[in-house]
Amino acid sequence: MKLRKLLIAAAAFTGLGVAHAQTRPEDVKGFTLANGMKFLVLEDHSIPTANMYLFWKVGSRNEVHGITGLSHFFEHMMFNGSKNYGPKQFDRVMEANGGSNNAYTSENVTVYTDWFQKDALETIFKLESDRIGHLSIDPKMVESERGVVLSERSTGLENSNYRLLGELVQSVAFQEHPYMFPVIGFESDIKSWTQSDLENYFKTYYSPNNATVVVAGDIKFDEVKKLADQYMAPLPARGLPPKIRTVEPPQNGERRVTTYKDITTPNIILAYHVPETAHADYYALDLFSSLLSSGNSSRLVKSLVMDTTIASSVSTGLDNGFDPTLFVVFGVAGDNVSAPDLEKAIEKQIDMVIQNGVTDAELQKVKNQKLMEFYHTLETINGKANSLGTYDVFFGDYKKMFEAPENYKKVTVDDIKRVAAQYFTERNRTVGYLLPEKSK
Amino acid sequence: MLVLALCALAAKAQNNFKVPPYETFKLKNGLTVYLMEQHEVPLINVSAVFDAGSINDGERYGLASLTADALLFGTQKYTKAQIEEMTDYVGASLSTYASKDNAGLAASFAVKDQEKLFELIQQVLIHPVFDATEFDKHKQRTLLELAQAKESPRQVIGNYYNTFLFGNFPYATPTTGSKSTVEKIDVAAVKAFYQSNYTTGKGAISIVGDFKAADMKKKITALFGEWKTAPARMVKRVAPNLEFDKARVLLVNKDDARETTFMIGGKGIDYNSPDYVPVVVINTILGGRFTSWLNDALRVNSGLTYGAGSRFTRYKYAGTFGISTFTKNSTTVPAIDMALSVLDSLHKTGINEEILASAKAYVKGDFPPDYESAGALARLLTDMFTYNFDESFINTFQSKVDGLTVAQAKEIIATYFPKDKLQFVFVGKASEIKEQLKKYGEVSEKQIKADGF
Repeated sequence: MKLRKLLIAAAAFTGLGVAHAQTRPEDVKGFTLANGMKFLVLEDHSIPTANMYLFWKVGSRNEVHGITGLSHFFEHMMFNGSKNYGPKQFDRVMEANGGSNNAYTSENVTVYTDWFQKDALETIFKLESDRIGHLSIDPKMVESERGVVLSERSTGLENSNYRLLGELVQSVAFQEHPYMFPVIGFESDIKSWTQSDLENYFKTYYSPNNATVVVAGDIKFDEVKKLADQYMAPLPARGLPPKIRTVEPPQNGERRVTTYKDITTPNIILAYHVPETAHADYYALDLFSSLLSSGNSSRLVKSLVMDTTIASSVSTGLDNGFDPTLFVVFGVAGDNVSAPDLEKAIEKQIDMVIQNGVTDAELQKVKNQKLMEFYHTLETINGKANSLGTYDVFFGDYKKMFEAPENYKKVTVDDIKRVAAQYFTERNRTVGYLLPEKSK
Repeated sequence: MLVLALCALAAKAQNNFKVPPYETFKLKNGLTVYLMEQHEVPLINVSAVFDAGSINDGERYGLASLTADALLFGTQKYTKAQIEEMTDYVGASLSTYASKDNAGLAASFAVKDQEKLFELIQQVLIHPVFDATEFDKHKQRTLLELAQAKESPRQVIGNYYNTFLFGNFPYATPTTGSKSTVEKIDVAAVKAFYQSNYTTGKGAISIVGDFKAADMKKKITALFGEWKTAPARMVKRVAPNLEFDKARVLLVNKDDARETTFMIGGKGIDYNSPDYVPVVVINTILGGRFTSWLNDALRVNSGLTYGAGSRFTRYKYAGTFGISTFTKNSTTVPAIDMALSVLDSLHKTGINEEILASAKAYVKGDFPPDYESAGALARLLTDMFTYNFDESFINTFQSKVDGLTVAQAKEIIATYFPKDKLQFVFVGKASEIKEQLKKYGEVSEKQIKADGF
């Protein structure tokens, strides 16, 4: 996932917020405009602030060779001028109104996040509607923004070993599906997108019916509806973007890839193909990830980082995806531990689950953790907006957010053993090594 | 007996901008307690702080940090593994940390699990055993992490900057420690540090969440009321002198760097500076938001970098100002020159009404979400204890922002924003950039893989 901006730590001043009742599914009200743009609205008056999250169903999975990185580039270009607001004006108007924004792009979605004081709601609608309906793609802005994205790409590779190795593993695990592309794009593509590439891409994917908009915070539903009718409804609908045709065939044999950098100890990734987020196995796989690496008592962290010094860190994760995606295990070796030894130690822990399963108490632990995560999400309006939009887009219904604790609860120890055995096989695995330049 | 004070904070009507009511009192052993009810979710958040930060490290850099870590390595009643198992089982979080000015504990858990978690917190703070086996493993991990951190210039440039600016004052030393100092720290040193620095007389605990304050008061009194520690030490500290008589350049060589990561700046303000609010408003214009002059020049107009900004980093006794950004090796000098010309324009051209109004709106809009969660409010309360600020500062915040005039802004810029004799720290490939850096000041060079900062 790529962010538009580096996050600048905010200054600490003061606090606010008053006690409010918990959010329930019926507190979320939705409507869809005639042009297909979908809205979810959640009133929450705990702080005098509101947000608007726009989830566009476009990401690097929609790209092909030559235009890799374009989805992410639009995450930048959407701030570089539209009909009624020239270059820089989006940010300037927003910040002068006490608002701020960011955006992120993944393989699947591009999400724009606006935060503002409640009185600025209409301004935000004007700004968003103008850039969705009338984006200027000024060649001069394109050139300077290319430099920004090249710097973003380079600083990611400079500062993150995970970025470096993760992109390589992705490119090998996927041989056909566009999940093979790095979200930020190939360097040569970033340098050579053309004006018509940009114009076509925007027309294809930024159609109102390709978005879910979430508005949460100190606003009124009626006000949002009125402003949506006024500013978003006039935007013409275009056809839905083309479906992705390419389906990644099952992997039938381990793949391995190695690269080098001047680092201290080996970094390794084990990646396994797993189904798309909307698949019934999602909850079991997500809990399996927690069983492996959530907390110091989790299987991988305890055995490799706490009880021994085989690894200096280990983490696991399951990306959200419209299409079958990857379950990734990332480990950084301890002192004098080789990449193959770390790899074997990780596999041994996964094999133990396949052979013996997990205990009821262990499964209950990660279910409890999921419930706590849910509460923390509901603590802030940003957590609520991001989560509602994510569930709507990836799970097909925002209500799934509220059902999540129940859906995790239904997972049994047998489910965990089954998904471990089904997906975590040698043939379904891609292993990446990032090794120190000088062999130890 | 309890000393009770009820504080109704910052009931400013404008913008509904206020801290929820909270209660504060001292236990008879001197421990300060803050209680704030928040009922949005069935959670409880705890923040505890002590005067046990790395400012007390002496020559053993990393001692405060290792001590904080080691609080979780077992207690009279529970092993490290049991603490982790109990915490993880209920999806709670329980962590300890050290910063320069304090060290502490943070926890978050469900209301239904509070008996267990409060008991754990009591055990960790009052009865840690500092298990030697766990400590040795942790030390080995820490040494490796110190080497690994240097793989990412962004992770370590702040340490070099502090060392370069603070000289002999203890803020110069890395809170995380360095290889040669961490190697020498043992369990005995950690125990001794705990005993002399985790004292109730200079400690505070805040609890924010879904509870009734009256019940919680009884509970906290029962848990911590009998805690006997060493008396609080009174250390007299003289604020460091950050006035520099010449420009200086520190170049940290990283042979495989493809970009130069840098910081430029000088003296900043301490935590209690009466002018903090206007300084933040001005810094918002210079480098504190996306449309700031630095980001506009270095990113938006020229595409030299993905991001450029500036900030005032405040500690209890002093602070720094720093511009920070990064750019590919070949554009290092143009990026530096551009950053310097932006800083120069702040002094020469200054700001106008329009930009000041925009910055005020931004600053006021920016922070409510930062204090939205109960965890953030718990930290706010203990920050007030550590840095000794109170509701009067909060009460006047809005009016201080609103009241700032262009004329005052000019004075603030002249007083607080470094202008010349700047201090430069670069992490980059020396063979490609060193010669060009000489024009900025006297260059000293370090190797990134060398011990420490």
